[in-house]
Amino acid sequence: MVQLSERVRRRSRPREGWAGWLYTAPALLIFSVFIIGPTAYTLYISTFHWNTLNPSMSSFIGTDNYRQLFQSTTPDFLTSAGNSLYYCAAMVIGGTALSLALALLLQRGGRLLSAGRVAIFAPHATPIVATSLAWVWLFNPQFGLIDLVLKHLHLPTPQFLFSSSWAMPSVIVYSLWHEVGFTVVLFLGGLAVTSGELSEAARVDGASPWQEFWHITWPQLRPVTLFAVVITSITSLQAFTQFYEMSRGGPAYATTTLSYLLYQEAFVLFDTGYGAALAVVLFVVTAAFTLLQRRLGDRIAADL
Amino acid sequence: MSSNPTLRRTAATVLAAATVLGALSACSSSSKSSADAGSGGTTTISFMQIMISGTQKSTLVALTDAFQQANPNIKVNLEYQPDYGTLHAKETAGVAAHNPPTIGQVYESWAADYAKSQVILPVGQYAGSDSPAGLSDFYQGVQKDLRLPDGKLWMWPFNKSVQVLFYNQDLLQAKGQSAPTSWDQFATAAKAVSGDGVTAISIDPGTTASPAGGTVLFDALCAADGTPDIAADGTPQLNSPAAVQALSYLADLKKAGALAVGSNFPGETALGAKKGAFDMSSAAGYYFENQAVGGKFALGTEVLPTGASGRPTNVLSGTNIAMFASASKAQQAAAWKYMQFLASAQSQAQWSSTTGYLPVTAKALDQMSEFLAKNPYMKTAAAALDYAVAQPAFPWVAKAQGEEVVALQKVLEQGADPAGALNAAQQAAQADQKAGQ
Amino acid sequence: MTLAGPTARRPRGALRRTVAVLIALAFLFPFYYVLVTSLNSASQSSTLADLLLPHWHWENYARAWAAAPWPRLFLNTVLIGACTVVLALATSLLAGFAFGVMRFRGRGLLFALVMAVMMVPGTVLIIPDYIIATDIHWLDTYWIQIVPWGASVFGIFLVRQFFLGLPAELFDAAELDGAGRFRMLWSIGMPLVRPAMLIIALQIFLASWNSFLWPFIMTQDPNVQPVEVGLAAFAGADGTDYPGLAAAVVFTTVPVLAFFLVLQRHFVTGAMSTAGGVRG
Repeated sequence: MVQLSERVRRRSRPREGWAGWLYTAPALLIFSVFIIGPTAYTLYISTFHWNTLNPSMSSFIGTDNYRQLFQSTTPDFLTSAGNSLYYCAAMVIGGTALSLALALLLQRGGRLLSAGRVAIFAPHATPIVATSLAWVWLFNPQFGLIDLVLKHLHLPTPQFLFSSSWAMPSVIVYSLWHEVGFTVVLFLGGLAVTSGELSEAARVDGASPWQEFWHITWPQLRPVTLFAVVITSITSLQAFTQFYEMSRGGPAYATTTLSYLLYQEAFVLFDTGYGAALAVVLFVVTAAFTLLQRRLGDRIAADL
Repeated sequence: MSSNPTLRRTAATVLAAATVLGALSACSSSSKSSADAGSGGTTTISFMQIMISGTQKSTLVALTDAFQQANPNIKVNLEYQPDYGTLHAKETAGVAAHNPPTIGQVYESWAADYAKSQVILPVGQYAGSDSPAGLSDFYQGVQKDLRLPDGKLWMWPFNKSVQVLFYNQDLLQAKGQSAPTSWDQFATAAKAVSGDGVTAISIDPGTTASPAGGTVLFDALCAADGTPDIAADGTPQLNSPAAVQALSYLADLKKAGALAVGSNFPGETALGAKKGAFDMSSAAGYYFENQAVGGKFALGTEVLPTGASGRPTNVLSGTNIAMFASASKAQQAAAWKYMQFLASAQSQAQWSSTTGYLPVTAKALDQMSEFLAKNPYMKTAAAALDYAVAQPAFPWVAKAQGEEVVALQKVLEQGADPAGALNAAQQAAQADQKAGQ
Repeated sequence: MTLAGPTARRPRGALRRTVAVLIALAFLFPFYYVLVTSLNSASQSSTLADLLLPHWHWENYARAWAAAPWPRLFLNTVLIGACTVVLALATSLLAGFAFGVMRFRGRGLLFALVMAVMMVPGTVLIIPDYIIATDIHWLDTYWIQIVPWGASVFGIFLVRQFFLGLPAELFDAAELDGAGRFRMLWSIGMPLVRPAMLIIALQIFLASWNSFLWPFIMTQDPNVQPVEVGLAAFAGADGTDYPGLAAAVVFTTVPVLAFFLVLQRHFVTGAMSTAGGVRG
């Protein structure tokens, strides 16, 4: 139906010439000045041994910055890419599954469940700078509440943000707490427009709740899921504030993701050319990731 | 124009918002419009620094007010940054955009970078001499610290400090211990007071981007053993026998339950909460340590213990002031006057008595009798400025210290072997040096 | 719905409600923890009771309140957020409409460009943007905190998807009536995409509220700085004053949080109809 009308429109409506450019101009102007221009500049300086303080003292080195990415000592690029992937996978898989489960739990229903929706959304409406501090205190291995409770229960007490194996999970727990509110709302929206008739029919046919979900509800949620997955992967690949506030990339590089490494090179060590090369690579990784997900989404759609 | 009421309402809202916005930005920028140097009248200079809280802020404001009173044709704008990381970023961004402050606080390695890029001025250019009046009054260590490896004078001192040991006197006394004078005694005392919920010392190695007190402790131990972590010519020596011994020493304390790792001034917090007995920190931490302790017990302060040789060593910390190259002639003269004022004996006496930073000249001590009576440690701590050595000013030193942080974290947290971790750090630091030269 | 087999469903409903309540409490707990921390003294011995029950040290609030010009910072935050939202909604609506409904040469290319913008890591832009801001004299102004965020890929994408999901006849008919394109957007498109606009407004405001590295670098004058900068500066300067920090978190976060919670119902409804409009 939609496709049909689309085709009708394509045929009957003339090209609108400059109007399209006019309507997109305000947004494109802002993007050009503050994002696209500086990105081109970044691409340019990534081929230099760049001196931010005095650009006239920069020297052209071609692809050396890129080559250095893969030879660099500490933390090497691949380790950081691995950390990014770790975080991203946990947020995309864990976050999506958790959001979907929460949305199924909280959909429709009365006052109580509506209050539950508010509670889960609340963390998302707080700035990371403010609430990550609270989680740093909760995770404190000497004075923190979690440590104290574990001790009371005679359970082992990991060092959380000070342990290279626990630091990343700790940041992920915080990030899930902060982010799922938004994806839950997306899924609630998706569930609201799923066809009640199909579900009803399935139930009449004697389908179990699980079968009903798997064969009826889930396929209808595909577009929302894809949207949530794409948005979550982009935001997690670029996530920075929680790492800055909670672990500063440590300990021993355990939470140095690509975007944190980028911050450190570009903003702390002022190795600007190298930082620029990293930024370009991060951009390519993000774009590739997004395209891959769309492809996969289409493939799955075709299979169904 | 349009008959649509919603459109008109929205347009009105947007217009109103824009008006408010314009008004607000006008009132906020009006105070700055006259900031540039007037020809015959006042010269305005800006000083970018991090003295944003507590007595550091109030004292700097008081000193600056006094300076402006004495020099009515000079106006000093204090530009506050929350921490050294942001300060460094702001100074760099300002230089890149041709809009730096007139003067700013700088660490030695930043100054080395700035000087190499020709964006700060050597002192000789505005003071007329490479060893201006007042230089010889400063403590020996401070004098050396103002010159970069090229031998030229690039900075003027401001807030200098050395590492000192803060401790809970009551707790030490209860366990029959006295303030340690050697690192061996420190280990004995630390193990004796630990247990029962007390961990003698909590340290923060910091992060690769900004090494903190724990790494400074490691540096101090290396220096006490006779081989500093970075040689004076900038060569990393992170796997020297002294370094391995220093890290093993810390690992041993950790194993004995006398050392914990934390973040955000864990030593100070633990000391204040009576969960720790010692804290090693900059002498300038005095105000904050006192605040954390809150009078719950007697807070003792000592200079750092010594190594096997018995010769005192220390790590010089704190920053100097440098002048950015874009300053006009009038601003150069005004800023130089202000820099001299801040480093004068009288200003330093006032600054030191309220903040705990050490006076950069011994002459200031004569004006601090009241403070010295209450804080006898200050005399020995200030004397340490004669022999304390700062990290050598080379651009790669910051990165090399980042490698130290990782070695510390590996050993203290994952239980890695100190020699192995330091070999890896040394290898990485040598690569940093090669890349930075 | 309640009529359909109430007896059969009750036990499962009760279980569902219990689980929901437990999860909700878990999500709310950190808020409670901040509240308690803000009312406790900095250096009391830490037992479970100390950490979990307030001790009513109201002076923490006085101390935190005195540390920065909070009302002004707060006003700045609201103003910057509101203006960014208005600007971003306008640009998203126009561009989203163009990408979703209009046909013009280069549309595919421009849209790809817009999508690529979302994937640029923001950190690397700060120094070039600082130089641009200096050149156009926007440092230390509201403008630098509003205009660069006044266009949103998320917003454009969502509006476009929404228009793609609407039957095209709607706009064809309007054109036959001779209504101008803008009129068509305003009178037909706008009311239909309103739910999506709510979600976009929410995301834009939250992003504006969340940003701190940007205003940190771009501004120096507390007269134009947002509240998060004050908070981060307070955390940097008095890093060990946990109760004071917690107090500052409470009084800077609660007003906006309350605002969102009041409006939350609308956001969920908005998202519900938006998600209907999202077609991969």
